[in-house]
Amino acid sequence: MPPIDPASEEADAVRRLLEQAGERPSWRALERIADTPAFDAFVRRRHLSVTPMLAGTGRRRFLQVMAASFALGGLTGCDRDASSGYAEIVPYVNQPTGLTPTEPQSYASATLLDGIANGALVTTIDGRPIKIEGNPDHPWSRGGTDAFMQASVLGLYDPDRSQAVMHLTNPSDWDAFRGSMIGRFGALQANQGRGLRIMTGPVTSPSLVAMLRDMQKAMPEMHWHSHAPVGRDTIYEGARQAFGKPLDTIWDFSKAETIVSLDGDFLDPGPQQVGAAGRWIEARRNAARAGHLLGMHAAAPFPNLTYAKADHHAVVAQRDLVPLARALLADVSGETGAGDGPAMEWRTRAVQDLMKSRGRSIVVTGAHADPALHALVHRINAALGNLGSSVIYTDPVVVQAEPVESLLDAMERGEVSCLLILESNPVYSMPADARFGDRLKHVPLKIHAGLYQDETALRCDWHLPLTHPLESWGDARSPDGTATLIQPTIAPLYGGRSIPEILSMLQDTDPRGGHEILRSYWRRELGDDGFEAAWRDALLAGFVRDTAFQPQHVAVTASGAPNPAPAADGIDVLIRPDPTIWDGAFANNAWLQELPKPWTNTVWQNVLTLSPARAAKHGLKNRGLATVKAGGDAVTGPVWIVEGQHDDVVMVQLGYGRGTLGSVGSGIGFDAYALRSRLAPWTRHGATLHVASGERRVVTSQELEQQGGHDFVRLQPIGAKPVGDDTAFTQPTLYNRTAAESASDGRAWGMVIDLDACIGCNACVVACQSENNVPVVGEEQFAEGRSMHWLRVDHYRDDTSDHSHQRFMPVPCMHCETAPCELGCPVEATVHDHEGLNLMIYNRCVGTRACSSYCPYKVRHFNFLHYSEAPPAIQARRNPEVTVRARGVMEKCTYCVQRIVKARITADIDDRPIRDGEVVTACASACPTRAITFGDLADEQSAVASARKDPRNYALLGELNTRPRTTYLAALVPSDWKA
Amino acid sequence: MAQLFQPRADAIFRFVLWCIVLGCFVALVTAESLSHSEYLTGRNMIQAQPTEFSHFHHVAGLGLDCRYCHTQVEKSATAGMPPSHTCMTCHSQIWTNARMLAPVRESYAQNVPLRWTRVGRLPGYVYFNHAVHVKNGIGCSSCHGDVAKMQMTSQPHAFSMAFCLSCHQNPQKNLRPQDEIYDMKWHPPADQGKRGKALLAQYHIDTSGRLMDCSTCHR
Repeated sequence: MPPIDPASEEADAVRRLLEQAGERPSWRALERIADTPAFDAFVRRRHLSVTPMLAGTGRRRFLQVMAASFALGGLTGCDRDASSGYAEIVPYVNQPTGLTPTEPQSYASATLLDGIANGALVTTIDGRPIKIEGNPDHPWSRGGTDAFMQASVLGLYDPDRSQAVMHLTNPSDWDAFRGSMIGRFGALQANQGRGLRIMTGPVTSPSLVAMLRDMQKAMPEMHWHSHAPVGRDTIYEGARQAFGKPLDTIWDFSKAETIVSLDGDFLDPGPQQVGAAGRWIEARRNAARAGHLLGMHAAAPFPNLTYAKADHHAVVAQRDLVPLARALLADVSGETGAGDGPAMEWRTRAVQDLMKSRGRSIVVTGAHADPALHALVHRINAALGNLGSSVIYTDPVVVQAEPVESLLDAMERGEVSCLLILESNPVYSMPADARFGDRLKHVPLKIHAGLYQDETALRCDWHLPLTHPLESWGDARSPDGTATLIQPTIAPLYGGRSIPEILSMLQDTDPRGGHEILRSYWRRELGDDGFEAAWRDALLAGFVRDTAFQPQHVAVTASGAPNPAPAADGIDVLIRPDPTIWDGAFANNAWLQELPKPWTNTVWQNVLTLSPARAAKHGLKNRGLATVKAGGDAVTGPVWIVEGQHDDVVMVQLGYGRGTLGSVGSGIGFDAYALRSRLAPWTRHGATLHVASGERRVVTSQELEQQGGHDFVRLQPIGAKPVGDDTAFTQPTLYNRTAAESASDGRAWGMVIDLDACIGCNACVVACQSENNVPVVGEEQFAEGRSMHWLRVDHYRDDTSDHSHQRFMPVPCMHCETAPCELGCPVEATVHDHEGLNLMIYNRCVGTRACSSYCPYKVRHFNFLHYSEAPPAIQARRNPEVTVRARGVMEKCTYCVQRIVKARITADIDDRPIRDGEVVTACASACPTRAITFGDLADEQSAVASARKDPRNYALLGELNTRPRTTYLAALVPSDWKA
Repeated sequence: MAQLFQPRADAIFRFVLWCIVLGCFVALVTAESLSHSEYLTGRNMIQAQPTEFSHFHHVAGLGLDCRYCHTQVEKSATAGMPPSHTCMTCHSQIWTNARMLAPVRESYAQNVPLRWTRVGRLPGYVYFNHAVHVKNGIGCSSCHGDVAKMQMTSQPHAFSMAFCLSCHQNPQKNLRPQDEIYDMKWHPPADQGKRGKALLAQYHIDTSGRLMDCSTCHR
């Protein structure tokens, strides 16, 4: 219960209550005394909505908020305990065939990012989805996942999701909505749809597109617009400039020997990340096996994950990217006189490598680069003969609807009588100069459907709660075009409906359900013959087979690339989606908010990143406030200094500065959409930087740490003497070490992490959080260094003027054979088991935290507060196989002991040994690049044992004689690499 | 000045000291016996259930196998509780009007599940698996007692850690051949020592102490 203001009406009411009871009031106990049914009823009468009671509470309070228990009465059934302390057993009335209560079940489905699908397996226990795994059979994602996929299961349960149909901000219901719409929609239909506009986010769903096209057939004057705050518009515009039509690019890394990236981002968060990273590392591994390096040359104005994984780097100004590409094109076309230009040394090397591997190279740029740069990159690839071999073009995966520009004009002219906004938040995410909110006032009937009651919902006449992809039927395409099916894993938690269901409700006399709509579409596509079998097969697989787009044979158009006007001097502001909350779609997801953002390692807000020189020039330090002005627009935010960024570049991330969203995502960071303009959504040239007064707290996961002269990340020049060693396991000792080593039943669990493969995407961190019920602590506690992530990804950097070496190192518990933490614990709360796991026994722990101070790897985390307290909806997500830890208890990575036990029991029942690969930890299974190998070291044939024999294998801080079970493979660098 | 303490103060002081010592002892003994009491462990306690289901009648009387209702016991961590449908396979034919069965019929007709009260209590941080026990020679009655004798079901053993460990430390004394797992009357035969050893080998039970690892039951 929140504190009561002594001067308030409630306080008076409490006093009256107390007088009636004949007791003297005491302010200290006021809240507790006030917790009576009578008072409760009074509060309810006075506050029809509970929201005002929550205003001003910190995010940390989110996990304790009682609002959810008001709203979510139904879910409390999940944890019903009779008052006697005897829990209930509630069996089915009719148990569904094939279902075993309490046993996990997996469903093939998909998660969406910008409407684009990645194949997922959703694990449910007793009807509750609790974990997302990659779908190994999916042709695009091949079992990999990213942080967004892993966190989507938390988004499903979010108690801040919209839970009711709202009409003019009053609660209403679906029947009222349909009743009020029947007449109006009928009139629109009779009028050929004149005045009706539908606005969606990016759509790849074949069934939804078919539905919208059918509507357009029935109502030829209806318009369908698509608004994507991030989207792929620049990609398609670039292809249009080079090939005359919009196309998507797929890279076949297996056919490549050299990669050149001009501000590329194929390894960065985005819909392409999982598939592209998986294919890239596969090719890089194959090359390394053959003794050479699949090298990458990267030039970029600011560093990102793709830049980090490159082998040759150059920092170039944003305005120099196009000239640099132009010079590269001249170089590879054999034209002389490309002459000097930016990043000369880098360019010479890159061209050398490109010319050596003509037809077997890939040149890439980023999804948000200038279309002119995209077009130039296509031309370079064409000139190198890569088209059709290592660079493949397909039809655009996002279906091209009418652009939003024409909608804006029509709104202004008052031609829009009914606007249907489906899963889009244009009031927040339109460029400032589109003035969408103002234009919306000209529309008489505005209907919004979304997951949250967001900025747009508040300005619309109707707001409809949408279903989450995990609770609805649907389909979507993966970046390669594979039609991926989405099947519900739970009935809609908050009474939402899916977009096709809403469209059907508007136009059909007999509204159809999502399942029926999807089935009837695919029945049309797959044909009636054998449909049931094909449909069942597709649902089991999670995708419709052979639906990936065929490669297009294209040739660049003859006309030369347009010459964009040389950009003005001054600062270029680069506006990019946030690496963890994207365009703001995941702003209310606490796992993603608390996930350290790659490169800055900041959490819970966005920052303005500057180069050290630029910051010094303005006298700015980390956390100091600065204002960026471009055109008439300005934003103010805290500064974060990033080595390796160009001096004339300021980076900002989208998705923050939300006013109305929920208890997690509101009121943090600044809104970078304010800097966007319709003509320049990604870059503002000629900006200026001004020092603003004050500072803001920016919390980072990686600061003020001492390395004591150690070099934790080893680099292996290809073809050189191995840098790995096994000295960690041959340290002299007087102790009898057989006790820890000899796994009595022959098993010794271990993990090997390939640093060359780790791209720092953080999927493993969220996967671990999801699997192991790791709590979120909130910004304040994070600032105290109390983050609870069992697995962290350390970022080591080595930037000088001429090179930039970035390495990401996931650090779980090392499960040391001679674990120092075990010496520290006075109560034997951390002990070894017979298979070499370093266990944490929560019930024994008395919270001395000695183990943590003994741990050289700092992987132990202490529950300083009741971090695991959460609303019932969030509790329902938890993995029932893992104990939820209480306050005062130490915790750490267990190597997913629950998965080990499960495999052991299964093997034991079948009377066979555990097979290699049967136990996969959550982090290993989440990794898109398969950087983590887990298994039985005692089994000579196991994958992990052979990975340990790799000459790159070394132990972290092995000289301490901890004999860690987790070891690392050194990252590969070119043979001529110099420190 | 007069003495502050009379000579008998010494005696009083000794008496008080002894009382404290004895008091502590009594408190410890009480706490210890309370922790084993039926009241706190729930041992032999009978709970109100939606209908007075009798294992005595169904098992001893009719000879139903445990697995007729607890279908999952050989493949899952939980033994499984029968859906109302299972009850109705017989009770749609016999005792169709019995007053005692009204809640079951209602549940089936209205599609509202029965809400049974749990009898065997296990803390949330203990992860017990039925399947691995019955597949490795531990019979139902070893933990649940002779259910066939119970009119109303209760739990004859306190599921304390000591109870689990007594067997994990020395499993052979409770091992049975597979065909005797569901025998409620099973008692260790005279030569259990020898048979237990043979069964240990037959079931490949790890005797190295793995069964005593914390991670076997806690995660």
